[in-house]
Amino acid sequence: MKLYNLSALIDDRPTDGVFRINRSLYNDPELFHLEMQHVFEGGWVFIGLTSQVENIHDYYATRIGRVPVFVGRDKHGKLRCFINACPHKGARIVSRTSGNARMFVCPYHSWTFDSAGSCKNVKWEKSGCYAKGFDEEDHNLKEIARFGEYRGFLFGSLTPDVPSLEDYLGESRHMLDLVADQSEQGLEVVPGRARFTYAGNWKMQLENCSDQYHFTSTHSSLIKVMERRARGENTAAVESSLAGADFWKGSAEGVAGGSFILENGHVVTWGRMDPNPSLALFDRYSDLVAKFGKERTAWMFNMRNLTLFPNVQVAVNASTQLRVIRPMAHDLTEMETWCLVPKGESAEARRLRIRQYEDFFNPTGMAVADDNAVYEECQAGIAAQEGPWLQGHARGLGGTVDGGDAYSAMIGVRPSRSIAGPSQLADETLFQGYYHEWIKRMGAVLA
Amino acid sequence: MSTPTLAQSEELIFREARLLDERKFEEWIDLYVEDAIYWIPAWRDDNTQTQDPDKELSLIYYRGRENLRDRVDRLKSGLSPASRVHPRVAHLISNVEIEQKGQGEAIVHSTFAVHAYDPRTDRASCHFGHYLHRFRSADEGWKIASKIVRLANDLIPTVLDVNTI
Repeated sequence: MKLYNLSALIDDRPTDGVFRINRSLYNDPELFHLEMQHVFEGGWVFIGLTSQVENIHDYYATRIGRVPVFVGRDKHGKLRCFINACPHKGARIVSRTSGNARMFVCPYHSWTFDSAGSCKNVKWEKSGCYAKGFDEEDHNLKEIARFGEYRGFLFGSLTPDVPSLEDYLGESRHMLDLVADQSEQGLEVVPGRARFTYAGNWKMQLENCSDQYHFTSTHSSLIKVMERRARGENTAAVESSLAGADFWKGSAEGVAGGSFILENGHVVTWGRMDPNPSLALFDRYSDLVAKFGKERTAWMFNMRNLTLFPNVQVAVNASTQLRVIRPMAHDLTEMETWCLVPKGESAEARRLRIRQYEDFFNPTGMAVADDNAVYEECQAGIAAQEGPWLQGHARGLGGTVDGGDAYSAMIGVRPSRSIAGPSQLADETLFQGYYHEWIKRMGAVLA
Repeated sequence: MSTPTLAQSEELIFREARLLDERKFEEWIDLYVEDAIYWIPAWRDDNTQTQDPDKELSLIYYRGRENLRDRVDRLKSGLSPASRVHPRVAHLISNVEIEQKGQGEAIVHSTFAVHAYDPRTDRASCHFGHYLHRFRSADEGWKIASKIVRLANDLIPTVLDVNTI
């Protein structure tokens, strides 16, 4: 196995005020192969929501790294996650995206499994002249090594040697609570998903979700549309929740937002958004204050983009989005995206949330396509290895501090590092959270 | 004028396609009535699409022509990295069929394949599916009251905008 020299990939010298990433981290096919093995198939990853499998025998198919898996609810209501491959010849057992099935029959030779994965029938087994070796083998569907749930979010690991789910999520659980607490009935996704690809490395999506610096540049065409609507030139559109906030405008005064590095690669960037009618949650404001108090409720309304390393992002800004990152190649990434909503919200709130989502988050909308395009420009530009070090991880290095701040204290979250400031701060130090965990997971191939 | 012929229906659908291909976006918008619906439903699962835009996700759902103007302004702004370079587009439309005719109204099915070549990335894409147009008669002739786009291949490479579908 080829060993990579860590200091040639990541230049991390806090005492010198330096944190730099080598371009090859986004552009090396061999390194990508190792990332799939060690980052995605060697630790916890997000695999779905319990709301996708609410009823007995419901199932949906997904992947962990390159490995096809499916999640199903067995007849006792227990959630299980199986490798989506028949033990016989390796054919995928489940070929639909989702469904409901009491039994799973392999399409190739009809080996049959129940919803708990037990092999119920090997076709013509008695006449098959099998020998002892076959009889001694386990013919059941293989469950993944580790599988767990936190507040409706499902995670799995193909490797048994990982921390408990509780420890893996750590402080980021507070950030998930802020989403899950919005309804006593929990969370669900709006039916209908949007999928897209971009010709760039998966870590570009990882970083961009945490990047407040790009907004007024990459999305200036959307800002023009928002201004046009504010002038009353399109009264047919719903109001953007961003129109009522100024955390993203360079003119915002005082502390407009900041970022937290949580442990295990999870990070959040946040911006101040005051409760107002352009936010779908607004009609629940007084209920939430009564239940959670003013400070915690204020945080529920704040813009916050959370990444749980390595593959899921909960973006609460122009609406609420669940993004799943699926790396396909060093220069190709597939995204699966959903509108994440509190169950039982009013019809009007749901409609508002959906319209805002489509405007901003869809690949057919007015924001995400521009992100995709700039990732591709980065991938194209990074091919030029003129001076390997990028200068895109330096903002905030002079201001980031150990531990939390007054804002994290409001919700009881304990970041390992934090920073807050005016909108023009646009911190980039939170990316370090990603790369420190990347180093941890890639340890076996780094020298 | 009370009901359109097949030839009139085709003429309107083909004109819309040509205006998009030629990037005559203002003229394209003028084909729509002011309260027009423009809707691209999402896929709920492998074989069913979302049906209720207020409860389920669409790829685009607009009620009102001014929303199309937002999109066109953005396309032409020069400020959108995804559309700074405009793709070269060819809309191919066939299987035009009038489903229903009423007084001053008609529902028309067609099948589309839209090929787009993006000079920014040197990539070609093809999106295909079905259109369902609802026409309404107006003083200037037939106009589009609603357009539903049923996009079959919904794994979208980088960008899909109103000019490439």
